[in-house]
Amino acid sequence: MDLFDVSLDTLPSPFKLHQMKQSLKSKKVLIVEDQATMRKAIREMIYGFDMKLITEAANGSSAIAAMRKESFDIVLCDYNLGSGKNGQQVLEEARFRKLLPFYAVFIMVTAEQTQSMVLGAMDNKPDEYMTKPFNAEQLLNRIKRNISRKEYLGDIEKAIDSGNISLAIAQCDKKLLENNRLMHTHLLKLRAQLAIKIGDLKKATAIYQAVLEQSELNWATLGLGIIAYLQDDFSEAEAIFRKLIDDYPMMLEAFDWLAKTHEAQGDFAGAQNTLNEATALSPQAILRQQKLATMANMNGELTIAEKAYKTAIDLGKNSVHHSSGDFAGLAKIYSKTDAKSALKTLKDMRSLYFGNPEAELRAALLETEVFHQLADEESSVQAYQTAQKLSLELGNKAPTDLRLEMIKTSYLKGDDKAANKELEQLIKNHADDDHFMGDVRKVLNETGNAQQGEKLIARIKKELVEINNKGVDLFRQGNITEATQVFQKAATTMPENKTIMINMVKILLHDLKTNEVNKEKIQRIQTFINKASQFGVKKEKIEHLQAQLNNLSHKINSTASQE
Amino acid sequence: MSQDAKFSQILASSVHDLKNSLQTVRSLIRALALEQANSEKPEFQILDFETARMNSCVMQLLILYRLDASHFKPVLEECRVVEILEEVGYQQSLQIQLRQISLTVECSADLFCFCDDTLINTVLVSVVNNALRYCRQAIRLSGRQQGDFVCLCIEDDGPGFSSGIMEGIQGVKSCELEKGNTGLGLHFASTIAELHSQGQRSGFIAIDNESTLGGARFSLFLP
Repeated sequence: MDLFDVSLDTLPSPFKLHQMKQSLKSKKVLIVEDQATMRKAIREMIYGFDMKLITEAANGSSAIAAMRKESFDIVLCDYNLGSGKNGQQVLEEARFRKLLPFYAVFIMVTAEQTQSMVLGAMDNKPDEYMTKPFNAEQLLNRIKRNISRKEYLGDIEKAIDSGNISLAIAQCDKKLLENNRLMHTHLLKLRAQLAIKIGDLKKATAIYQAVLEQSELNWATLGLGIIAYLQDDFSEAEAIFRKLIDDYPMMLEAFDWLAKTHEAQGDFAGAQNTLNEATALSPQAILRQQKLATMANMNGELTIAEKAYKTAIDLGKNSVHHSSGDFAGLAKIYSKTDAKSALKTLKDMRSLYFGNPEAELRAALLETEVFHQLADEESSVQAYQTAQKLSLELGNKAPTDLRLEMIKTSYLKGDDKAANKELEQLIKNHADDDHFMGDVRKVLNETGNAQQGEKLIARIKKELVEINNKGVDLFRQGNITEATQVFQKAATTMPENKTIMINMVKILLHDLKTNEVNKEKIQRIQTFINKASQFGVKKEKIEHLQAQLNNLSHKINSTASQE
Repeated sequence: MSQDAKFSQILASSVHDLKNSLQTVRSLIRALALEQANSEKPEFQILDFETARMNSCVMQLLILYRLDASHFKPVLEECRVVEILEEVGYQQSLQIQLRQISLTVECSADLFCFCDDTLINTVLVSVVNNALRYCRQAIRLSGRQQGDFVCLCIEDDGPGFSSGIMEGIQGVKSCELEKGNTGLGLHFASTIAELHSQGQRSGFIAIDNESTLGGARFSLFLP
């Protein structure tokens, strides 16, 4: 049998194998390159492909500015952009700020040829890599290949983008039936990730195992590790991640998951070591540096924490993930040993985060402590008063760790009344978050309020259980309206409480199933679901409820169109 | 650290440095060639070809060093064979245009294989570079299924491999070294091929002079 049934003409030939629906003519291209000659050469290549809608940027900041102004179909971005943001930071920020629409192709241009070794260490993967030098044929080929792939997956990516996972799954299943060999493995990968999102671990396991029977693809092995982690089978998860790191020493995702696994097992030293190894491989990743700093700080490994905070502060200059928390963390380490450096760090932080109340509050809290240690009680009290004022202004907009920090300082300053009041609010909203309650108990212990605090916790938990039971009883008796009212009231006094949010959604969904369906009701449920997601309710829990809501709203849409 | 280990580390970082310089030079040559209306000048062609050859050599050395320093597995992905072959062709398009060589790709669009496409690309580019040195006017890249393996072939219409190379596939004879055949390319190719394994089956290479074009034939078999 002759297998050579497709033959291409002598190169350079028109590219026959990648058929696209749309022509390239209408595509908007952004070229990000610091060297003028290279930029010109690339622009001329793109012009030659009959694409005239070209924007150029000479550095990372102008690239971001351009992407904020308009949506591009193709972004060609050099990795090395001189001073300022590098290509990786541009991509990170563009993804974080959602500046790249689902159909956009991001191509990272680099002088490094070994992507598995050097670029493998990138945390944000571009759609495609190009190695310099490249010619027009190579570039056009890559552009076409990626655009047709994005076109093919467009429906799925669009659904994912809008947060509609059940629709994405339906689209994915439909595409899988088409048996497109080129896209099949990719679709399976996507389908397994979607299954994990909605907590369908059985389906995801089946996909990964089937893929691995074909060939040893490392993402499928990683997937099995993630599933083991999600099922709390930490020893299995650890074994899988360790083996992956052994076989693929640059696979950063495996390091991150291993660190998470250590953390889940309470092995914080192990988590720190794993993060430390990963930051050595990829020193530019700010989020991992921040995680390492927090972990090392918690473990009392102050030298490592100091180094990681410093690196994070440095990277923050060009990163969308910069945080005043890094300055605060570093100042806190100094506060114990070197008051002068601590105050200097806070000064830097203030000038960088001028007018940012969260940063101001962090600084004021640390100053309260540092001046106290310097035996300057007057300045310390003054700083505390500033902190109190800022804390009142911020209210529940401040992150919970910062609110807890404020409570601790209040206790230390003997301001028990303010501390108790704020503590009650925090516990009411987070009583069901074991990890956070652990932090609360630590503060209570350190400030000598353990006994009194436990009483408070017990009282609030009892109240919560009573409200919950009352609502659930009413619900069981079929008194949906009153049950809703009970939870609605609870949601007003405890706006951040996750259990209340989830129960509210469940009751409203039940109402939707049994009684009249209308758009207002759907909108109300969606608002609660969005809030639950915003306040960190686990994805698996939310997706399940979102899928139910999607099904129900799909029903009213289809009946409406039948009429 | 032992003296040997230290030396090989210095060697590796120097090679890495060399590679960066080379890539700058190559970019500049390309830019210059593009600017010149008569870029068909033989000087450009030679510059491009020779720097490409150096680059390929340096890349292979670096990868071999890393393989030696720490074990790692190729990152396998399912790839469409014709795309791998086309990419190699596109990379050589300047040479092909300038020297008016006919480079053809023949492969079914339905042929897929599991491989680390960056590593495989480095292997194929080095072999094609070699073919460009010896061919008269034609190179043929092809892919097909052969039993349990996918076979990628590079053929040319040159004089073919010398008997010295064919015998010495495991080691290079001194007479070949004088002709500029270090044996690196074939050593690299067979190392990378072997790294690609599925269960009990490992990849391998073969060379002969059975080319349909009359010259040398290189075959890479992937499980």
